Amino acid sequence: MIMTNQDLVKKLQILKDVKPRKDWVILTKSQILGPEIVDRGRASIWAFFRYRPLYRPVLVTLVTLAVLMGAFSFAQYSLPGDILYPIKRVVEKSQAVFVSEKELPGYNLEIVNKRLEELNKIAETNQVKKLAPAMSEFQANVSEAAKNLAKVQKVDKEIVARAQKLEETKQKVEKVLATKIETEELDNVLKQIVEREIKALEEQTLTEVQEEILVKIKEDFEAEDYSRALEKILFLPNLPN
Amino acid sequence: MDNLKKRFSQIFDKNIDKIYRFIFLKVSSPEIAEDLTSETFLKAWEAFQKTQNPISSTQKEIKNPSAFLYKIARNLITDHYREKGKVQIISADYVRMFDPRTNLEEKAALTSDIDTIRLALSNLKEDYQDVIIWYYLNQFSISEIAQTLGKSEGAVRVMLHRALGALKNELNQS
Repeated sequence: MIMTNQDLVKKLQILKDVKPRKDWVILTKSQILGPEIVDRGRASIWAFFRYRPLYRPVLVTLVTLAVLMGAFSFAQYSLPGDILYPIKRVVEKSQAVFVSEKELPGYNLEIVNKRLEELNKIAETNQVKKLAPAMSEFQANVSEAAKNLAKVQKVDKEIVARAQKLEETKQKVEKVLATKIETEELDNVLKQIVEREIKALEEQTLTEVQEEILVKIKEDFEAEDYSRALEKILFLPNLPN
Repeated sequence: MDNLKKRFSQIFDKNIDKIYRFIFLKVSSPEIAEDLTSETFLKAWEAFQKTQNPISSTQKEIKNPSAFLYKIARNLITDHYREKGKVQIISADYVRMFDPRTNLEEKAALTSDIDTIRLALSNLKEDYQDVIIWYYLNQFSISEIAQTLGKSEGAVRVMLHRALGALKNELNQS
């Protein structure tokens, strides 16, 4: 077969693939003109640091920060038993440092709620191995929440709202797990708070409506539905401070 | 000095691939091509610096940097073969100089094509190799080639036509 000029020129174009190594180009330019002249547009970020040893600690710091940020982000989706889970707990504990003493019980209840949601996810996805560490984490957080809640002198809206949310999540998880979740420590503290509030109400002169509500509060108390009892106490109409 | 460095930096960026390709196709070894390309630019940089030095006022201004670089490269290639009495040897490593391709079959076929055409090209006389590389690979115009070789444009056109014919013969024989 006779080769035409067009075929030949086409074949020649293949030789355009012959190119020098990029790192060699940067190195050569740097050796001839000095590292400062190396075109930053052409040089990669790695090449920049490669020829500037003094800046390497900056690179190490940047890479470390990037890795840590990535790990922190991924850790938020981790579950007990996962490699990144301890990072999630560290972040939570660090956040707790910046929470005021007044807001701490509410924050603790929120964390307990998170543990319940983790349990729910584990149960739903049938990750049996993670169940034991998840329960252990849950109990540890319940203890901590109970300890801080016991210090509360007067319940506020936030605590009540979070206690209610916790109760709802607990019931949901119990359904999925088909077993009762033990929160005795926390329940005992809530019981003491409700008891204290009932006693305080009984010592006051109440209107007819308030008396009726107090009866309902006592019923909730007897039914061990402390969060509902607390809600009623908090929203008791025209209660003198 | 900073301005001169910036100017030479632009010349470097514009020509490094072309000069490297020009040398590599003649020496067929990436290592030697890298050495000679570095030396080409180093010599050019020294010459550029001299043009700015008031003491060496005899140094003429470099009007066509590309042509100047090719002139140095050609001399270095000639010196390389003269000094070492070397024959052109294909380095087993030269395959890595091409763009990385994920498809191995494609890479093998391309390497084989490059090898064939490169070998055919290396069998041509030097002027023919130069005009082909400059015109078809490094996108020189006829006028630029004429300027570099110090010939008329008509002579370059004739040379290019003959070079292409010679390459065709080489490829048909292989």
